[in-house]
Amino acid sequence: MWLGCLGGIVIRMSILLKGLVIIAGDFGNGKTEVAINLAVHQKAAGRKVSVADLDLVNPYFRTREARRLLAALGIELVMPDPQYLQADLPIFNPRVTGLMRDPSRLTLLDAGGGDAGVTVLAALADALPHDSVRMLLVVNPLRPYSSTPEACLERCRKIEKAAKLAVTGIIGNANLLEDTVLEHVLAGHEFARSLSQRMGRPLEFITVPASLLEAARPHQFSCPVLPIYRQLVPPWRKPEPLTVPGGAA
Amino acid sequence: MSKVLMKGNEAIGEAAIRAGALNYFAYPITPQSEVAEYLSRRMPEVGGHFLQGESEVAVSYMIFGAAGCGERVFTTSSSPGISLMSEGISYIIGAECPAVFVNIMRGGPGLGGILPSQADYLQATRGVGHGDCRLLVLAPASVQEAVEMVMTAFPLAEKYRNPVMVLGDGLIGQMMEPVEFPDNLKSAPSNKDDWATNGMDTRGRKTRNLVKSLFLDPVELNEHNLKIKRKYEQMEREEVRFEGYNQDGAYRALIVSFGTMSRVCRTAIDIMKADGLEVAMIRPQTLFPYPLQAVRDAAWKKGCQAVFSIEMNMGQMVEDVRLAVQGRCPVHWYGKCGGEVPTPEEVVETVRAVVQ
Repeated sequence: MWLGCLGGIVIRMSILLKGLVIIAGDFGNGKTEVAINLAVHQKAAGRKVSVADLDLVNPYFRTREARRLLAALGIELVMPDPQYLQADLPIFNPRVTGLMRDPSRLTLLDAGGGDAGVTVLAALADALPHDSVRMLLVVNPLRPYSSTPEACLERCRKIEKAAKLAVTGIIGNANLLEDTVLEHVLAGHEFARSLSQRMGRPLEFITVPASLLEAARPHQFSCPVLPIYRQLVPPWRKPEPLTVPGGAA
Repeated sequence: MSKVLMKGNEAIGEAAIRAGALNYFAYPITPQSEVAEYLSRRMPEVGGHFLQGESEVAVSYMIFGAAGCGERVFTTSSSPGISLMSEGISYIIGAECPAVFVNIMRGGPGLGGILPSQADYLQATRGVGHGDCRLLVLAPASVQEAVEMVMTAFPLAEKYRNPVMVLGDGLIGQMMEPVEFPDNLKSAPSNKDDWATNGMDTRGRKTRNLVKSLFLDPVELNEHNLKIKRKYEQMEREEVRFEGYNQDGAYRALIVSFGTMSRVCRTAIDIMKADGLEVAMIRPQTLFPYPLQAVRDAAWKKGCQAVFSIEMNMGQMVEDVRLAVQGRCPVHWYGKCGGEVPTPEEVVETVRAVVQ
């Protein structure tokens, strides 16, 4: 757990999520890597966790690529039948609606990119527990069309309209993959904090690449930090061993 | 300019815009549809044109029309889509028009699958259309290189008045990498007044230009083909590009690999090096013209016992590797096609099975 200090008040700085949490955001902002790492992080914190791969848009680099890791860690992954895993078809597994009604566990819905990616949520509107569902917007300001607050607000409005749900919080995910340096993390935190204030929605957490955790530790952040151990890597790289502060996942 | 994080397909679209190509016609197909998605948003912002054709056949003739008018124009597609475009590509080559085609390859034959592949090597380098057709083919291994090759493709197409193809596999289109768009690769379009149907008033001349691939006189058609052949020979003299890896010292085996497959091979070479086995690599960056001499020199180097062509297909580039090596040492092939990308460990095992 990290502690932060705002205006002399010490605040609790761990990520606490429960119920149904939708991970949304514009195309390529890092939703899936965040969802995988968040699932493992929350599992290590003692929660029962499920992940639903709702990406009906992307053909590659989806949550299902991490199915073996998640299974090994006891995290349920809901995805299309194995015979359709590599299809670019909008396949929806009805098991997702069952998970939505189970308040005893954390269920992460990894939606596809942009407004097209969350359109499926509108179809689930009747099944969603509207009083408790949270939809978190992943923002990487080092992406085209996410580099200004105005652009993020426009995308957020489109996502909300397509999903027929309101965004309830922000996830700051500033990174350039392996080229990320501490300055990107610090500037990304400021960007996400500013966007959060402008939108009037809380900054739930920011991400920091695992390799920069020690360098980032002396800095004050206004929100919790999720370490990112890259899992969605090309075939010539190995996924980073996934651990969490305070214990192995 | 500072780096941004982009998906290969987005970066390819942006690179074309930075190169001054503001005419894009396409038909969506996985795994490259994000190019069209990105440009449907981006082209209106820069005053460009994006028109989705009713099919790839239609798109190829939209490209022909715009190129014949002297406009910088390009399209992107994936394997089955390129097959449909092959008639138009042949017409464009016959009419000597510059254009850029990007093929983000998926597995075949037929509909195949949507995962990465390099199975269009022979199509791109040998059989892109009917008649004596050749494309200048560039093969990027990273998103950054895809950006640079797309930006370079337009002046190359204009230099030869011949289409250029950027041939990437599905990973090039789908993976995210940090990229920048080098200002020094921006180029002004060449003067096309001597041949393009860009309007007599535009070029201030009284003579009409005619863009065509029809030559009914057999002598004239033969001369036309000889002229095109001379362009291919010039490409072979002036445009061969390749990159070497771990070539400086002595080595016992040579890998030849292109595109993202070469990045897997790099990792494999690093593993073998750490284990005391030196292996070099030649990565062709142009597939036509092919770096025959570079592969030959590397294969014939003293101490090199075997050559391996590692590809995401059933053995296509290996034909060029064999041509280069001329039987001086054994040439082996290893690859997969269907979406599974050979792993570094499989490449190590392949080399170790031959070179102890």
